[in-house]
Amino acid sequence: MYLEQLFLSDFRSYGEAEFSPAPHGITVVTGANGAGKTNLIEAVAYLSTLKSLRASPSAALIRAGAPSGSAVLRSRVRHDARLVTVDAELHATGRDRVQVNGQVLRRTRDLLGALQVTVFSPDDLSLVKGPPAGRRSYLDDLLVALQPRRYDLLSELERVLKQRNALLKSALAGRAGGGVGWRPGRPLPDDVKITLDVWDAKLVTVGESLVAARRELVDELQPLVEGAYGSLASGSAAPSRLSTTLAYEVSWSGSLAAALDAARPDDLRRGVTTVGPQRDDVALAIGALPARTHASQGEQRTLALALRLAGHRLLAAALDTPPVLLLDDVFSELDAARADSLMANLPALSETQAIVTTAGELPSGASPAAWFRVEDGKLLV
Amino acid sequence: MYAAAVQDLIDELGRLPGIGPKSAQRIAFHLLKLPRDDALRLARSITTVKDRVSWCRRCFNIAEGGADPEVECGICTDDRRDGTVVCVVEEPRDVVAIEKTREFRGRYHVLQGAISPIDGIGPDKLRIRELLGRLQTEGIEELILCTNPNIEGDATAMYLTALLKDLPVKVSQLASGLPVGGDLEYADEITLGRALEGRRSVSG
Ligand SMILES: [Zn+2]
Repeated sequence: MYLEQLFLSDFRSYGEAEFSPAPHGITVVTGANGAGKTNLIEAVAYLSTLKSLRASPSAALIRAGAPSGSAVLRSRVRHDARLVTVDAELHATGRDRVQVNGQVLRRTRDLLGALQVTVFSPDDLSLVKGPPAGRRSYLDDLLVALQPRRYDLLSELERVLKQRNALLKSALAGRAGGGVGWRPGRPLPDDVKITLDVWDAKLVTVGESLVAARRELVDELQPLVEGAYGSLASGSAAPSRLSTTLAYEVSWSGSLAAALDAARPDDLRRGVTTVGPQRDDVALAIGALPARTHASQGEQRTLALALRLAGHRLLAAALDTPPVLLLDDVFSELDAARADSLMANLPALSETQAIVTTAGELPSGASPAAWFRVEDGKLLV
Repeated sequence: MYAAAVQDLIDELGRLPGIGPKSAQRIAFHLLKLPRDDALRLARSITTVKDRVSWCRRCFNIAEGGADPEVECGICTDDRRDGTVVCVVEEPRDVVAIEKTREFRGRYHVLQGAISPIDGIGPDKLRIRELLGRLQTEGIEELILCTNPNIEGDATAMYLTALLKDLPVKVSQLASGLPVGGDLEYADEITLGRALEGRRSVSG
């Protein structure tokens, strides 16, 4: 699949912009830092997931001072002979409106798959160095891209946790059942106890399905990450530093049901759910040592790239068409050897569309198929 | 900021479900611009509905009978309905959805909501006590839990199942196959009819 055309109006720094990247190979977008290159990448990624890359609310995506108070994104995506249009109107107040092939989208999951992307960004370093939330989203985003139906599983988990946490807080405040606040050592009012049992049972069902799916994904990713890391790092690393492992770590031991039961007094005291897949992590290791604490910055960057490449390859194989590659200012963070090696390891660019932003040079092996320049909020050919 | 009467109207509209301050303002100004007759027609239909319609004292469905606290709905007063089977639903609109299937000849109990701690709705805010009362007096043999196929509906059904497990009443649930995450009213009549027919017993 490839992005044939993108039209932006009042999105981030752009007043109006039209972007037609090359169908295959590298389309380079150059421009000074802060000129708005990342905004272009964000626009493409937004049409893929309806989420901002930088987790900004819709209102923040609208150009400051836009007279209409809204932003418009229109796109044409080519799937072999089939053309899919995805259009989004973002409003500062009120509901955003998304249309696929002219039909108003009722649920986000019905969009997923219209445009698939793999984003490489300098922030990816936090996949290795940052908190577990980033690694969980890495897995969850891939799960949804592989199977849009899983979007429902993730939103169910979010909803169950919100409801359970609300119940825990209201039990503590005494708003639920009997009007007496729960205190440590005291039994729960019957009403609260049965209701909490119900949310626990829901959390167990949803949580166990999600954990099973994440574990399966980690198993599929393991050889791909190891392979990608090996080829990215070969030449620059000692053989003992070439092996990488991913291990899914649940945040409890035994069954989730028993763990929730055991954690209940603690959860009630804190008003928040302390066990479940929302606390899990993926342990990343290089040469059998934890990558977060026992790897150099260069190794960590390479591992982050390997995670993205592995995800991309998994998706390309599962979808029978490679997702669009979005590389946002990635080369500036890499030394020349690593940049060349990333270039050499990108998927076959004869059939993959890659949109690459850079403030400076491209690696020596890059031969772009199209060039654009960003200046003063304008996109120039 | 606005004349007191206008501000009152905005405040009242803002208390309606799903209407934020901006929408309340927009609707208020729309009403101001309406011809007097059109606006009064709306006002009258609100008074009429409050005068003529209230909750059935037995099942909490909509009942026509004004402010009379003893009023019962058309279904509860219909002798041809089977009083031994009761379908438990969240809202009166679910009664309409099930009636459309023409598959169900029993009676209803409307909970008037679903358990949702986020919205401050616990079991005590639903018509559950009234349901337990009916079980003692009406000779009900089977309850079919027809809450919405979403998380809150499921939680409500699970709560009721736990609450009713030791009582001498058969409890069943709709067969799966309804579109997940939605409301009962979105299911088409045939799917809903099948789900009712293929209901499975969960206790009793
Ligand atoms: Zn009634």
